[in-house]
Amino acid sequence: MIELTGVTKRFDGKKQVTALNTVNLRIDKGEMVSLVGPSGSGKSTLLNLIGGLDKPSTGEIALDGAVLSGLSDDALTKLRRDKIGFIFQFFNLLPTLTCLENVSLPLHLRGWKKAQIEERAHELLTLVGLGKRLEHLPEELSGGERQRVAIARALSVYPPILLADEPTGNLDSATGVEILGLIRDLHERLQTTVLIVTHDKNVAESCARQIALKDGVVVQDRRV
Amino acid sequence: MILLKLISWQYVRKHLLRSLLTIAGIVLGVAVFVGMHTANQSVLTAFTQTVDRIAGATQLQITAGEAGFEEEVLERVQNVPEVRVAVPVIEAVATPETRSKGNLLILAVDMTGDRSLREYALEDGDDSFIEDPLVFLAQPDSIMITQEFAAENGIKSNDALTLNSMDGPKKFVVRGIMKSSGLTSAFGGNLAIMDVYAAQKVFGRGRRFDRIDLAVQEGLRPEEVGKKLEQILGAGYQVESPSSRGKQFESLSSVYGMLANITSLFALFIGMFIIYNSFAIAVTQRRSEIGILRALGATRGQIQVLFLMESAVGGLIGAGLGAGLGVLIARGMAGSLGNLLGEIYGVAQKAEEVSSDPQLLAGAMVLGLITSLVAAWIPARNAARVDPVQALQKGKFQLLTAGENRTRRGLAFLFLVLVGLSLVYGEGRLIFYAGYFLSIFAGVLMVPTLGLWLAKGLRPLLKAIWPVEGALAADSLIQSPRRTSGAVAALALSVSLIIALGGMTQAAYASIEEWLRIALNPDMYLSPSQNLTDRSFRFPAAFAEEVAKLPGVRRTQFVRTVRLPVDGEPVMFVSLEVASIRKEVRLPVVSGDGDKMYAEAAAGRGVIVSDNFALQHKRKAGEILTVNTPEGPLDMPILGTVVDYSDQKGSILIDRAVYEKYWKDDSVNVVRIYLDEGVTVAQMRDRVAAQMGDRYRYFVFTNEDLRSYILKITDQWFGLTYIQIAVAVLVSILGIVNTLTVSITDRRRELGVLQAVGGLRMQIRGTIWLEALTIGAIGLVLGWVFGAVALYYALETSARDLSGMRLEYSYPFRMALVLIPVILGSSFLSSLGPAETAVRGSLVEALEYE
Repeated sequence: MIELTGVTKRFDGKKQVTALNTVNLRIDKGEMVSLVGPSGSGKSTLLNLIGGLDKPSTGEIALDGAVLSGLSDDALTKLRRDKIGFIFQFFNLLPTLTCLENVSLPLHLRGWKKAQIEERAHELLTLVGLGKRLEHLPEELSGGERQRVAIARALSVYPPILLADEPTGNLDSATGVEILGLIRDLHERLQTTVLIVTHDKNVAESCARQIALKDGVVVQDRRV
Repeated sequence: MILLKLISWQYVRKHLLRSLLTIAGIVLGVAVFVGMHTANQSVLTAFTQTVDRIAGATQLQITAGEAGFEEEVLERVQNVPEVRVAVPVIEAVATPETRSKGNLLILAVDMTGDRSLREYALEDGDDSFIEDPLVFLAQPDSIMITQEFAAENGIKSNDALTLNSMDGPKKFVVRGIMKSSGLTSAFGGNLAIMDVYAAQKVFGRGRRFDRIDLAVQEGLRPEEVGKKLEQILGAGYQVESPSSRGKQFESLSSVYGMLANITSLFALFIGMFIIYNSFAIAVTQRRSEIGILRALGATRGQIQVLFLMESAVGGLIGAGLGAGLGVLIARGMAGSLGNLLGEIYGVAQKAEEVSSDPQLLAGAMVLGLITSLVAAWIPARNAARVDPVQALQKGKFQLLTAGENRTRRGLAFLFLVLVGLSLVYGEGRLIFYAGYFLSIFAGVLMVPTLGLWLAKGLRPLLKAIWPVEGALAADSLIQSPRRTSGAVAALALSVSLIIALGGMTQAAYASIEEWLRIALNPDMYLSPSQNLTDRSFRFPAAFAEEVAKLPGVRRTQFVRTVRLPVDGEPVMFVSLEVASIRKEVRLPVVSGDGDKMYAEAAAGRGVIVSDNFALQHKRKAGEILTVNTPEGPLDMPILGTVVDYSDQKGSILIDRAVYEKYWKDDSVNVVRIYLDEGVTVAQMRDRVAAQMGDRYRYFVFTNEDLRSYILKITDQWFGLTYIQIAVAVLVSILGIVNTLTVSITDRRRELGVLQAVGGLRMQIRGTIWLEALTIGAIGLVLGWVFGAVALYYALETSARDLSGMRLEYSYPFRMALVLIPVILGSSFLSSLGPAETAVRGSLVEALEYE
């Protein structure tokens, strides 16, 4: 369960900008939620805060009861390792590593044994339909295939939460539909909690719950 | 200029640390250049100042090398009508036994005539005995000291000052304290004046003088009078102005000057790579900025000038800072350098003040500027060639194109062929050094290719040990040869320098130790000086003969070492009984027939020269060496060459009988003593003490003492070369820091992804550390290989132009192994800062970083 209580995020610069303003939110285990809103509404900021990539200025975020603001940097990283998988708009694959190596990356960082890692990476790449492209480099793949690799990497330890920032934003519409189908399929099969930040109305509507943000405030929270 | 302010200044402000690191290479190079030269200059200035201040109104000085001459020469000079005044001088350094800090330079003069040349103003105004020199002369224990020396040591008029003379400790009475003047500031104020005839006894000169100081009649030109005196006295006497002594010292210490040049040029050369690397990185990172400028109408020329202006400004700032730092370095090392040069060359001076030469500083600024401009030339040209359309597109700008690599490899191959040809046909100095430099350029051009191969070779190993951190570190290098090759080249060059110097030092030590074993094999030595290179004091022949008669002495050899001019340069003559030496010492023969050459030399029919003399003076066995003696020119065949390291500038072995005959000098610097079996050094020490009592001043050295003294001086000399190593390593470490600083900027997103998918801070640090260690390892391996070539050239340079020592090639494997922890440790240390920067940044910004 993800729970946000009075979360505010301000960015200090020449002029202070409030990206999120006293957001209260609760997302239950196994939900598939879309975060929508115009540019600058605070959706990516919200996703980054939930993923522990950034810290709120005020307020609390708790994942399964663990309050993130009380954790050290390394403790936060460990929590992210075990509970969260990230999918980025620009895939963020490491260009010098093969598909297998990219997917293995989080498992190596966790210190898994080599045989276990290979078995899991094979399994995940097969799951996303890339079982035959294990040794390819990202530059040898299409955009959709790259995003599949990124999804496989995000699922490395089958985390209970999957955070996706515009996962179809850099893909053509047909591939976007295909990737969305894959995420939905994984959500159903693995009972993963999924949060998707999107501009795409179709993507938003495919989620059971839609949260709309505007100027850092939740303006709509509806279940379809 | 406006572009410099709007574009360059903003870039520098944004990348301040990197900009500082870039100019640090120039700072260090220029600092070493200015520091070593200023220190050397200060020592030379101190020496010439001492000479000038002591000279007073002296216009000409007459010497016969260091050998001195008999009293009658003075009369001959005084009888020349063109000479207004001519006075005898003995100049030597003594250590007072009581109440003194430091050595005293004793200027011994004949007070009757000397006041025409030098002014002696006394503190208390009581000039009576100076007014009447006979008062001073009538009391042979008179000595005058300077106000500075008196104040520093708490000495007053009529106090006693004991000097350890050749006849044992001798008490002098301070009969005058000189007021501060030009003369009294000579030798840092540690100056004393005594009667020349008293000094003959103190320093064991017999009835000889060291030199004559003179002034010519009014209206006559000293040069013309000098020529006339040379004609009258013969070529064995040198008639020169006092300032020419400075030139002789400069010539003696020229090896040090060359060493200083090599060190600073090497530091600047490595610094050049750092600048090249920084500018190459800046050009690739600023491609879009260049593209925009070009799109807005900037010409290629304007872009090139912009980058060159940046480098010029950086070069000038670096050179300015370097010059300041250099003066500080000189301040720290002038004193100890003065002592070292004094010990090696046996020349007294006291360098206390640093004299910075404006010409040297201006030269350093120009050197820094040129180095910076040369380094930035290729990146600036590349910047000018940037295609505006491509520049605005994102691309793999850190990769080197296949074409670039082909060109580099082609050039490297061509250079290697030329190097090969230079080795086959490289007798001439120009061809040899051209080959040397081409070999460096060939190596540098091969660095990107070799570095890439090594990085690819290391990747599986790194990945096997550290699957994520290792693989990413290797990939970072494989993907960015443009970013890393400059740092790797700088490091490889530093390592090669260390290998070359290490190999040379190892070979030099081995040769010197072998020479010590062969040449310095007596059981003990007696010397009139505490310092074996100091020739101020000499034993009379009678002393040596008395020692020879002591029971338990199997053999004695009387050695007189003296610098005499050969080809206009002072060369060490070692006069000894050649026949006796042959029985005990077999110096390795380089050319000539061993037994025959010694037999001929013992019969006075020629000289044996050291190999380093032959190399430096381009002389061969069989040639005639003409030496100008007080008795006229002496033509001596060179009977052969041997390995002898008696002096850095080479030595000439001449039989004692010949030396005595032509120089009328039977004094002795060192008595070599071989003991009968069963007699110990301690026993002999007691026997000498019992025999000599307080009649003579002498110091006993055991074989071990002498060896360790020579090895200590050798250590100090090579200590200077270790400065090169420190600077080279420091500059290349700066290169690694610079490269890593850029690397973490380039890899910001990658590092952000690592953290986002679960990488702990320690793991992120790990990948940066491994990148640094991999750069270090590649630089080390390439440096080992380059070092093998550099060692060959270092040994050849040493033989041809430095010491003339022909050393055997022997790769310093132990030093190569020691470098593993040194270079890897330094690389690791250099990565600590960048690694911390990598883990401290905002994760969100890193993931959004383009």
